[in-house]
Amino acid sequence: MKDHSAVPLAVEPAPAPARQRRRLQAGRHVTPYLLLIPALAVIGGVLGYPLFRLVTLSFQEYGLPELIAHKGRWIGLDNYREIFSDRWFWTVLGRTIAFTAVTVGLTMLFGTLIALLLARLGTFMRLLITTGLVLVWSMPPVVAVNIWSWMVDFEFGVLNWTLAQLGFESYAHHDWFVNPIQGWAIITAIIVWGAIPFVAITIFAGLTQVSGELVEAASIDGANAFRIFRDITLPILKPIFVILASLSVIWNFQVFTQIWVIRNARPEDDYFLLSIYSFVESFNTSQYGLGSAIALVMVLAMLVVTFVYIRQMVRIGEID
Amino acid sequence: MRLRMFATAVLLIALAIAAASATGASQASPARAQADALTVWLMGDAQANWPEAVAAANQSFKSQHPGTDVNVQYQSWGDYKTKFEATLSAGSGPDVIEFGNTDVPKYSAAGALAPLTRSDFPNSGTWLSGLTKAGSYNGKLYAVPYYAGARGVIYRTDQYQQAGITKTPKTLAEFNAAMAKLMKKFGGSKNPTYSAVYFPGRYWYAAMSFVYDYGGQIATTKNGKWVGALNSPKALSGLTAWRNVARSFSRANKTGDEAHPQQALVFAKGKVGSFVGNGWEWPYALDPKLGNPSLSNKIGAYPMPSHTPGKYMPTFLGGSNLGVPVTSKQKALAADWIAAFTNTANMTRMATGGGVIPNTTSLAKINAAKPTLAPFAEAAKYSWFVPSTPNWANVESANVLQSMLSGILRNPSKTKELATAASARITEILNSR
Repeated sequence: MKDHSAVPLAVEPAPAPARQRRRLQAGRHVTPYLLLIPALAVIGGVLGYPLFRLVTLSFQEYGLPELIAHKGRWIGLDNYREIFSDRWFWTVLGRTIAFTAVTVGLTMLFGTLIALLLARLGTFMRLLITTGLVLVWSMPPVVAVNIWSWMVDFEFGVLNWTLAQLGFESYAHHDWFVNPIQGWAIITAIIVWGAIPFVAITIFAGLTQVSGELVEAASIDGANAFRIFRDITLPILKPIFVILASLSVIWNFQVFTQIWVIRNARPEDDYFLLSIYSFVESFNTSQYGLGSAIALVMVLAMLVVTFVYIRQMVRIGEID
Repeated sequence: MRLRMFATAVLLIALAIAAASATGASQASPARAQADALTVWLMGDAQANWPEAVAAANQSFKSQHPGTDVNVQYQSWGDYKTKFEATLSAGSGPDVIEFGNTDVPKYSAAGALAPLTRSDFPNSGTWLSGLTKAGSYNGKLYAVPYYAGARGVIYRTDQYQQAGITKTPKTLAEFNAAMAKLMKKFGGSKNPTYSAVYFPGRYWYAAMSFVYDYGGQIATTKNGKWVGALNSPKALSGLTAWRNVARSFSRANKTGDEAHPQQALVFAKGKVGSFVGNGWEWPYALDPKLGNPSLSNKIGAYPMPSHTPGKYMPTFLGGSNLGVPVTSKQKALAADWIAAFTNTANMTRMATGGGVIPNTTSLAKINAAKPTLAPFAEAAKYSWFVPSTPNWANVESANVLQSMLSGILRNPSKTKELATAASARITEILNSR
């Protein structure tokens, strides 16, 4: 690993007067930070202030009367006490963790498989599949979920119709959300479908780092495809996997839109995730303090994962 | 080096100026426009069913107040409360807003609406008592009655005839017998998706009618506290009666409701014998684009019969009220617009064109005279309403009744447990601060 601190001194032009040299070094260090100020100001305004408000709201009682008076009532940790002593919160938290684990696992699996496929295809097919992936990726979530919702509709959905045509008569009028397992299967399919393109394309880009000679040498030595993947591809791609997994966990933990739209803005208890619980508490029962506390708990849970993600990003930066 | 620093500084200043002027410009224009325009939030129903009434109100208001424009914005039932609360927080919002009558107590109790003077509004002496009660709190009026809706059974006269049903049912027992005849003639294995009466699982407005018909209630007061009462013996009889109707004669979605898809449109597709609907759902089934206009002489309606001979099953007295938010800066103008919108001429338009019950008993003659309105006005003679407490809106938002009902349809043996659990939740929510 190079020692960065040693480099500037090594390339400094030799007979420079002391005052000029100091100004040179000072200028080079300040400019990047000056250029960062507009971006930081925007981030501070758009993200920082609402986060600050979220934290302060979570320690207040803030219902409808307080909303109108623009003044909350400080109750300290009461909101948090209420959340953590509520069995429903722990149920929803457990379900959110399980949902995140399953969706991230499936996304990484299918994303990797598709990326490996892309690496072996000819140009035309690769272009076709990549175009398909990008089209999926670019579709706004609300539009996509509405169409999915129609496809699995009870009365007029194409999925029920197809199954009935194929001979499964009992599916002619099948409500996919009566049984939570079937309902979650549909929702998981929607989430994974939307998440695969990013993962697949990123891993495909990463696969270009795997040198062809190494793979050839390994296959001459008698390694099969699985061993090549496990012993050569995986170690090289590990940083990318860590980053993608972290991002996927952060995104899937917060899933809200898909479930909200497909249950017509009134999700049953079986379909509650933390994000929905927070929204319902805030906007449906107008308990903004309680909803903020739940949201903050989500943020803190994600901080752990974010830490892993940022540490990995920094590590990659150091390698370069 | 100096040049580079200078260039950086210029760039930063330019960006800052651009950002400031952008926000400045966008803030200036709306403020100027708001001072002149009256903002009115109505539901999409008004745009679809009585646009002439809205236009007439705007015209009459303009002639009274020539300098003020009216900006009518149509909302959807799903998210209008969230939008309204956001405007409360911002301190600026609509000047007039339409509420569902079950939602008004929550906002009037919290002080979100400005008090109004009853005598300022037309026909206020003969307003429907149900709507007036919903729009008042602690003796003051906060939201003006707009229109009411009562539900009746809308049915296919040709299908009833073919199934051998000669007269419309007058008791619940006759109703069940008629449904059985319909299922025998049109449903069963020949047509597994046919419903004699289309009854989605979460349609609580119609399902709770059974509870009230058997003498039960959603909640009662005891020593000043609310207690959920869905697990009382009478309520359970009602729920069981409803469960039998829905499971035997309906093939509608057990976890669906009456609006997704719109039940009138499913009825129009032909595989439904009858459904429990509002007056406006009759013309909606005949909509040229979404419904089936060829059914126009094959539809009728009758009040849902009670299990007690000689009475009707109590119908939910739905409806809307119009209020003036406390954040409005033109409260007097807002009240004038409401008065222009709810005058006798407009009420007549809404009743005849839109098929709803006007807000005053003085126009009851219109209801009785029109064949598409008379059955619903007749059904309104026996009605029920939700517990009148500000926290009721939260019970609706928490889906307590809907979840209980769809749970009962899916697990009929668990009716008592589900009713008890729902009662406990209602008690908790209604008594919360």
